Amino acid sequence: MKLLSLSWSHRARSSAAREALAAVPVERVLAELKARGVAEAAALSTCNRFELYTVAARRDSVLGALEELAGAPLAEHAEQREDENAVGHLFSVASGLDSLVVGESEILGQVKTGYEAAKALGMTGKRLNVLFQRALYVGKKVRTETAVGEGCSSVPSVAVQLAETIFGRLDGKSALILGAGAMAELAAKHLAARGASRLAVANRTWERAYQLAARYQGEAVRWEDFPAELERADVVIASTGAPSAVLTRDLVESAVRRRGGRSLFLIDIAMPRDIEESVHAIDGVYLYRLEDLEAIVAKNMASRAEAVAAARRVVEAKTSEFGAWARSLSTGKELSLKHSEAA
Amino acid sequence: MMQTVLSWGALFLYAAACAAAFGYLLNKAEGARKAMLTMLGTGLVLHLAAFAARLAAFWAYPENRWFMPVNSFFGALSYMALALAFAFFVIEARKKLGILGAFILPFVAGSLGLAVMKADPSVGPLAPQLRSYWLNIHPMILMTAYAAFANAFGVCLALLIQERQLKSRKPSELCYRLPSLDALDSLNGRIIAFTLPLLLIGLGMGAVWAHEIWGRPWSWDPKETMALITAAFYGEFLWLRYGSGQRGRTPVYVSMAGFACLLVTFFGAELSSGRHGFMGGK
Repeated sequence: MKLLSLSWSHRARSSAAREALAAVPVERVLAELKARGVAEAAALSTCNRFELYTVAARRDSVLGALEELAGAPLAEHAEQREDENAVGHLFSVASGLDSLVVGESEILGQVKTGYEAAKALGMTGKRLNVLFQRALYVGKKVRTETAVGEGCSSVPSVAVQLAETIFGRLDGKSALILGAGAMAELAAKHLAARGASRLAVANRTWERAYQLAARYQGEAVRWEDFPAELERADVVIASTGAPSAVLTRDLVESAVRRRGGRSLFLIDIAMPRDIEESVHAIDGVYLYRLEDLEAIVAKNMASRAEAVAAARRVVEAKTSEFGAWARSLSTGKELSLKHSEAA
Repeated sequence: MMQTVLSWGALFLYAAACAAAFGYLLNKAEGARKAMLTMLGTGLVLHLAAFAARLAAFWAYPENRWFMPVNSFFGALSYMALALAFAFFVIEARKKLGILGAFILPFVAGSLGLAVMKADPSVGPLAPQLRSYWLNIHPMILMTAYAAFANAFGVCLALLIQERQLKSRKPSELCYRLPSLDALDSLNGRIIAFTLPLLLIGLGMGAVWAHEIWGRPWSWDPKETMALITAAFYGEFLWLRYGSGQRGRTPVYVSMAGFACLLVTFFGAELSSGRHGFMGGK
């Protein structure tokens, strides 16, 4: 089998080639290769990588086609792999082992999209079909059998997970955002995505509160009125530029008294702090600061890293299994690969 | 004896269900959950059969006919284990809160284990003053309430773990496996809000019975006094949680203190040889 893969990933020192390739639609790449007589090819294009897998094609002609489309020199930063090395690489990409955030699961969907695009254009033969179906299968297997994809890998997703640990489902819950900066917006986006039904934004500058609220179907609140809002909110995210704490213990205590025992989840991502540390001691109030969330992310990433070795073993085993199958094709006695659940 | 064999079988299955419940808590494997429910369900069937066998032996005495065999430690503990296992099936397992099995099923196994290993399973004719339809009402209601309170206590344990984890700011994997803090809080609150009236009704029925046979409804015997203190703790819990809207550990501790009193009520009264002793046949 003459499998060739060319990759430009986040590992390269320069991102120029990757960026030039990202601008070219995958369909155009495949169509161009087809026109040049490459029968089997599939491409994977994400913001962190561009990868091309071809069967029985010459490196120079493939590279030439790509350079023409991208309008940039690509050869210098290209990683080239052949046969089993290429198989192993695709399997570890699909497993999230080659990702910037180890174990992230988006890549599996992107591999699938890339495969489907190639299949739709009739660019996949038996080898590429089996290779990509196998890659999807290995990607799933690694995530279910090892801890490489466990634990949230970003601050907003950890915050949402903690909110769900306190409240259960977030639909029907309300959030109050203090400040209208980029961090506040990111938090609003995540909470809205998880179904938080009511979003209130308070900012010293009314216009900015209004704009942010409008983007997420929320409600802008006058800065003076946010203490009253504290009674209704379940999650409060503070990220103002205030020089001293805006959410004092007195303010929180008096709000808690009027909340009928509902828990209150406070997140302080401002520096200097927006929320007095001592509110964490109030019953039913949980204050997490940016560094607490970051520590949880770091712990999750550390345990993912520990699982990488186990994940690599799965990838290696499946790679040599695939290699044996590929070799058996030419002997006329095709080995059977254990049927993959992935499609 | 048939009853003993069946009870041991049920105990064995309950213990195995406990082990599966801990396995489920530690790695949330679907297989462990299924194993837990299968073993618990089979245990329940054996336990019901054991109870039926006991009933048959008990009713072999014509004077016992139609009374429930809860006049001895064995009968009472076995019935409570049955009620608690059943409550877990109906409340937690149905609501997909099976992960709480590790906190509740040990009480099922413990209660039946105590009966099988420490209590005398033999049956005899009921003492004359117990041959009353009140025997099917007063203790049965109270023991059902005890089983429900044991269930709430298990929920409290999970609630405390969850609350501590969240306050520590370093939540472990366990934190994400347990039900949410609010789900545990409302489950605990609802079980107690439903069971405290049951406890009070049971006590009220006891007072009516006492009035019939002893001439006065309440005689401050140790068991009666402890039962009242138990009710007071649970009442205090409901007031703290819903009356004054307090969250955090304090209300949870109060409800757990209620369960401690309940244990004293059930076991302790035996020592003080009041009129409620199981051994004395009342």
